[in-house]
Amino acid sequence: MGEAQIAKKTLLGMVPADSPFYRFHPVGRMALLIFLSVTPLFIDMPEVNLGLILVTLGLLWWGRVRMQQVRRYLPLLVTVAIFMFGVAFLAPGNRTALTPIRSVGATFYFEPMWWAFVSYCRLIAMLFGAILYFSTNRERDTLVALRSLGVPFAVSYVAALSLRSAGMFMEDFKTIREAQQARGLDLESLSVVEKAKLYTMYTVPLFAVALRRADEISNALFAKGYTLSGRPAGGGRRTDYLRAQYPVRARDWAVSVGLVGAFALVAALSKTTGVFSDHLSPLRAVVVGMVAAR
Amino acid sequence: MIRAERLAFRYPDGTPALDGVTLTIAAGEFVALIGQNGAGKTTLAKCLAGLLRPTHGRVVVGGIDTAAKGVMKALVRRIGYVFQNPDHQLFNTRVYDEISYGPKNLGVPERERDAVVREVAAVAGVRPELFSEHPFFLSKGLRQRVAIASTLAIRPQVIVVDEPTTGQDYRQSIDVMEFLTRLWRQQGHTIIIVTHEMPIVAAYAQRVIALCRGRVLADGPTREVFAQPDLLAQTFVKPPQVTRLARAWAGAGVRADALTVDELVDEVVRVAGGERAVAVPRAGRQEPPAGPGAQADA
Amino acid sequence: MRLAVEVERFSWRYPFAQRDALREVSLAIPAGEFTLVVGPNEAGKTTLMLAIKGIIPHSLAGRHDGTVRVFGEPVAQKNAAVLARQVGYVFGDPDAQFTALTVEEEILFGLENVGVPTSEIGARIRRASELTMISDLLDKPPYDISGGEKQRVAIASVLAMDPEILILDEPTSMIDPLGKDLIVDICGSLKRDRRMTVIVVEHNVEAFAPLADRVVLVRDGRIEREGAPRTFFDDVESLIDCGVYPPQVTQVFARLQRRGLYAGPLPLTDEEGVAAGTRLLQGAGRWR
Repeated sequence: MGEAQIAKKTLLGMVPADSPFYRFHPVGRMALLIFLSVTPLFIDMPEVNLGLILVTLGLLWWGRVRMQQVRRYLPLLVTVAIFMFGVAFLAPGNRTALTPIRSVGATFYFEPMWWAFVSYCRLIAMLFGAILYFSTNRERDTLVALRSLGVPFAVSYVAALSLRSAGMFMEDFKTIREAQQARGLDLESLSVVEKAKLYTMYTVPLFAVALRRADEISNALFAKGYTLSGRPAGGGRRTDYLRAQYPVRARDWAVSVGLVGAFALVAALSKTTGVFSDHLSPLRAVVVGMVAAR
Repeated sequence: MIRAERLAFRYPDGTPALDGVTLTIAAGEFVALIGQNGAGKTTLAKCLAGLLRPTHGRVVVGGIDTAAKGVMKALVRRIGYVFQNPDHQLFNTRVYDEISYGPKNLGVPERERDAVVREVAAVAGVRPELFSEHPFFLSKGLRQRVAIASTLAIRPQVIVVDEPTTGQDYRQSIDVMEFLTRLWRQQGHTIIIVTHEMPIVAAYAQRVIALCRGRVLADGPTREVFAQPDLLAQTFVKPPQVTRLARAWAGAGVRADALTVDELVDEVVRVAGGERAVAVPRAGRQEPPAGPGAQADA
Repeated sequence: MRLAVEVERFSWRYPFAQRDALREVSLAIPAGEFTLVVGPNEAGKTTLMLAIKGIIPHSLAGRHDGTVRVFGEPVAQKNAAVLARQVGYVFGDPDAQFTALTVEEEILFGLENVGVPTSEIGARIRRASELTMISDLLDKPPYDISGGEKQRVAIASVLAMDPEILILDEPTSMIDPLGKDLIVDICGSLKRDRRMTVIVVEHNVEAFAPLADRVVLVRDGRIEREGAPRTFFDDVESLIDCGVYPPQVTQVFARLQRRGLYAGPLPLTDEEGVAAGTRLLQGAGRWR
């Protein structure tokens, strides 16, 4: 089942088939996604989030994901930073309640800038968690994880079908765009408003093609003996050949329970004791000190 | 006139499609592009129509370089492209609006537009009763005609049709091909078809360009191209059955380049009949005429 | 002689249609036979196939009369899973029947639906993909393979379910020449096996007529003619009028026959045609 491949193609890139990630069950990998991607929501202290980012980068390296793929996200990181810090600079809120800093000829306000920094760290930590997941997991892995967690067959199947439809949708869109070009539609010479007005030129054919295909796919599903419940002919539970390919081992239990437990712990601690609050951040203390010294 | 100079095209994901194609198509030709899937025939057709910009080299259509900016409207007046699946092209709620979209987009005034629509619909076999129908609900054959009519309404000199006969029965295929032939002969259009069906190519195309792995494998009059089956085999194309039979019987004096059933039958009659008068064709079995060289099996 | 399919005076009208798509059609197909169904577009060929498969009346609404039986039992009384086990269906559009994320999942989807135990699934996937020559494509998603390959995947996923009847509805229509040849080869090996009852609807008569035990012409909702290929193509002119294009070799010899130059069975293949023509021309003393 694909052992002969040198690299597996994931949603965001390629990963070697002998990557250590594949020694773990997809459910464990999904638990990692939850830990890396959702935990930052409960953490304000930027050092912790930055630490999580480092952990994620480390895991990317350990999983032998090609680091050039990660470099592609740099423009995104820069854009988000510019946006967040830009807003904090231009619209700081009620200036009288804030601490001004004069530097390089402009007036910054400490609180909004600090908060932008905290939020930025959190956002990037979540983003990298997702990048790690989608760089090391294929659609099939996600499907198996969902099914292992007991998601009903019909739901996981529809999710998978939608993923696939997205690909077909892009293909159709490309063809339709060419077809409209052939009718004299020159996109480059149009203004944004005119482009928006022309959406009917795309949506009508897209719907037409999609409707016909939906009709045909429903016949194809029937032809393959699929009933809405997903239950097989003789009754009983549906066999799951794919899941059978991924045996669950002790280490998978350890990883999944450990990660979900850690996440729960962080969430609980954060809500009750506020130990991850940004006010406790050493970095904040340093910056406040520098500001006060002026 | 269309000219491709060292045309090369690579898809954004890196797949190479065309690798240095140079050719010229003169006005008034009827050309068929053939070749295995992935050989580049559809890519070539789209590059010639200006729908794809060359990665290297260039395509010039009636003096216009397809890679130049803002030339789409001018190009479309010279070369029209009909897609294989009409659903990709049709987006209006009425057949009339669909056909009149092209001229409208090009700024043709309304009265002239109406005349063009009616004329083109008649030529394409779209009856006026269908003008207010929704294209989605028409049969596939009719939708294809509406697509062709809406391309014709722009009055391009060159018409490219991607797979005109795929999925059609024989009658429908002949209808489409006869229609394209009328456009070619009577109205002087240049026709380029992309197709897999060799009997259609043999019966209708004047010139055949065979592609293999992004390069031109063969380019010439239909008879000459089909006379090279070994070459064509490289792109997994076989000449039509009648041509294969003719080649097998060439030893007896039958012309090896027969392209249609009519030609082959006439050839066999000519060769086998010798000087004997040919019997008048009648339905049902016929007594073999007397004379030397009567045929063998019972 | 066991009958795989019995259609008894079956009529069908689609909703909002002006006329019946099928009008009192009767047809009997013995088990193990290879049947070729021809006819103009919109004649009712696909409708007939859908009725044998059970998509009509289970999945499509409409009015019907008469019965369609598969192995003695009416189709209307069987459910989707039973029908999937007995009758496999390959559609004409390779894109419209790919319902999973990879080739392997596509093949195993149907197997899971009909309740094949996990232990057997691996072997069935292997056998089906070897027969259809797609073994090296198992891990690929549908957008990474060609139309011909997708169609072979469709055939593999149906063959893996081991149906007794296999229906192919215009399997080569949207496929390139190489892909067409491979599909014809697969049908050839199925025919040699003789275990399956195969029904093919096709316009590409040249490739499939030599395989057929029987040819059926559907026109205007009715079965207009049926017979063994050797006699079916006798009346070339009226077939062409119907939108059916007999193999060119058959057309040539039918015309030669009418001009009195040929008497004998009409050839269906290249080889038969070459041989018959050579004899004809030798007999005419023309061969150098």
